Amino acid sequence: MESRILRPTLALYTVLFLLFLYGPMIVLTILSFQSADGGPQFPIREWSVYWYEHLLGFAETSRVSQLPVGDSLLRSIVLAFMTTVVSTVLGVMSAEAFRTRFKGSGPAFYLIILGMMVPGVLVGLGMALLSNTLGIARAWWGTSFVLHVVYTYPFAFLVMLAIFNRFDRTVEEASLSLGVSPAQTFRRVTFPIIFPGVLSAMLFSFTLSYDEFARTLFTAGRELTLPLAIYGTFSVEIYPNIFAFGVLTTLFSFTLLVIYGLLMKRFTSKASRYSGQEDA
Amino acid sequence: MLTLNQVSRRYGGATALDGVDFVVPENTYMALLGASGAGKTTLLRLIAGFEEPDQGTISLNGARIDGQPSHLRDIGFVFQNFALFPHLSVAENVAFGLRHRAHAPLTNETEIKDRTEAALELVGLTGFGHRGVSAISGGQRQRVALARTLVCEPRIVLLDEPLGALDANLRSRMCDELKAIRERLGVSFLHVTGSETEALTMGDQVAVLANGRIMQSDAPDMLFSHPGNAEAARHLNAWNIFDAGLCSHDLGQGPIAVRFDQIDVSDPGAAPTERPSLHATYLTGEFNGPTALSFFRAADGTLLQVVDHLSQPRLPDLVEGQGYDLHFAADALRQFHGAA
Repeated sequence: MESRILRPTLALYTVLFLLFLYGPMIVLTILSFQSADGGPQFPIREWSVYWYEHLLGFAETSRVSQLPVGDSLLRSIVLAFMTTVVSTVLGVMSAEAFRTRFKGSGPAFYLIILGMMVPGVLVGLGMALLSNTLGIARAWWGTSFVLHVVYTYPFAFLVMLAIFNRFDRTVEEASLSLGVSPAQTFRRVTFPIIFPGVLSAMLFSFTLSYDEFARTLFTAGRELTLPLAIYGTFSVEIYPNIFAFGVLTTLFSFTLLVIYGLLMKRFTSKASRYSGQEDA
Repeated sequence: MLTLNQVSRRYGGATALDGVDFVVPENTYMALLGASGAGKTTLLRLIAGFEEPDQGTISLNGARIDGQPSHLRDIGFVFQNFALFPHLSVAENVAFGLRHRAHAPLTNETEIKDRTEAALELVGLTGFGHRGVSAISGGQRQRVALARTLVCEPRIVLLDEPLGALDANLRSRMCDELKAIRERLGVSFLHVTGSETEALTMGDQVAVLANGRIMQSDAPDMLFSHPGNAEAARHLNAWNIFDAGLCSHDLGQGPIAVRFDQIDVSDPGAAPTERPSLHATYLTGEFNGPTALSFFRAADGTLLQVVDHLSQPRLPDLVEGQGYDLHFAADALRQFHGAA
């Protein structure tokens, strides 16, 4: 009775939500197949993959200069990778520390979490001022990197905290009682069990760092990361090659997500690989 | 031989263990009986080194082990929830200790395989090695946990309510098996339980833990027939404990105990005069199969239980709310001196 109205309404809501969510991406994707003489708006004059060729440097020279994203893409990936490794390691270590209530754990918790709460522009500006005062050159691998870690580490930390929250401590104690050292216990028991959480923490860190803008803006120095480089091109004039690039980076992100999903599936299904149950 | 000397452990203001003196001899099945919250698990965790005592010493074969990291103590621990490694197969679980232990790990794969299989055979799980631990039943998991511990040949094995997660049928079968396995290996087991039947069935010796102390440690038949104090008697769930002043004869002061099966019931005034008796009101009865339990309320409110075996009924027909005389042989009672 109730569901006759409720279910269709919720379904419609969901569809609208998804359309709204993916609408911009869909428009972008369609426009990326604009012809060479078309602009960054409808109508599509003629379907073509010209802007993809242009982006990758296969097109004839044209009035539009090639998008300066090659180096910045590499920088962003390297930066995101560095951030992922450091944030995840820090996140796992501190979540492990928070399993026992140590002195000052309350304030420490909020200080860590603050890193993702404070406005990025302010932190970026502050970092720029600090590095000026201290005479440290600003660089994407230095000042920006530090801020990326400050920003993503709380996310990794929270993910790991949730994982450890449901973690059954007795398996570690079982390992210790078998004569296995604490370090080996972490490597052989704790880490394999929390690994799905580690994967999630890595995914969070990577995606957050990969398209970080505000914190990077003031701290990257002269060598730009990808979001900055893309933003820079907006100030000149927009051509559909940006859309083509958007589609390609989305595909890249999607690939990461698929890899994550596959790893996750492989890992979580391992425990229940064997089916069937016998009586004792 | 495991010796605990004046071991105390407090959590904040609450005292879990208060000066425990306890000895587990060599080659013994020791059952430790205690109500939930009595500190049984805490005691095991102190011995295993997961926690440290606030006071007192723990020694194994004369050498102190308190303060040592738990992975160097060489003490096996079987958990109530089994605590198997969920990411490893049955065989990998069993081989884990041999392969990764800090002291003298095995590197020879054939030896690891042989010992793993021997351990699985010991617990009756031959051929289960390749399975995932989530794909076996509760009783099988219990055996894996046991095999995993025993394969490392610990100096003593601690079992924390190992049968608590199993159903009743399986429990009684595992009781026999645990006993048999222990006898074959000749290692001491310290088995913690809240069930008096389990403790009496399993233990070569049974110790009662209450109020943070060991109340009595004795052979099961001795403990059952001669509890040394009211606490020990209470844990056996077979003794009525009541004030001596309730009885017709002068039995002195303080609490006395009479077993459920040694009390007879008569109509008021019909009790034999040579037997001590007390007046009580019949409340209700409970039918348990081979036995029937009758509940009485004494004049001071104490609840008394009388057990009747169906094959040898000795109780009259009882009417709820009616008063009766409960009487017993003078030599059936246990008198406790000092505080209960």
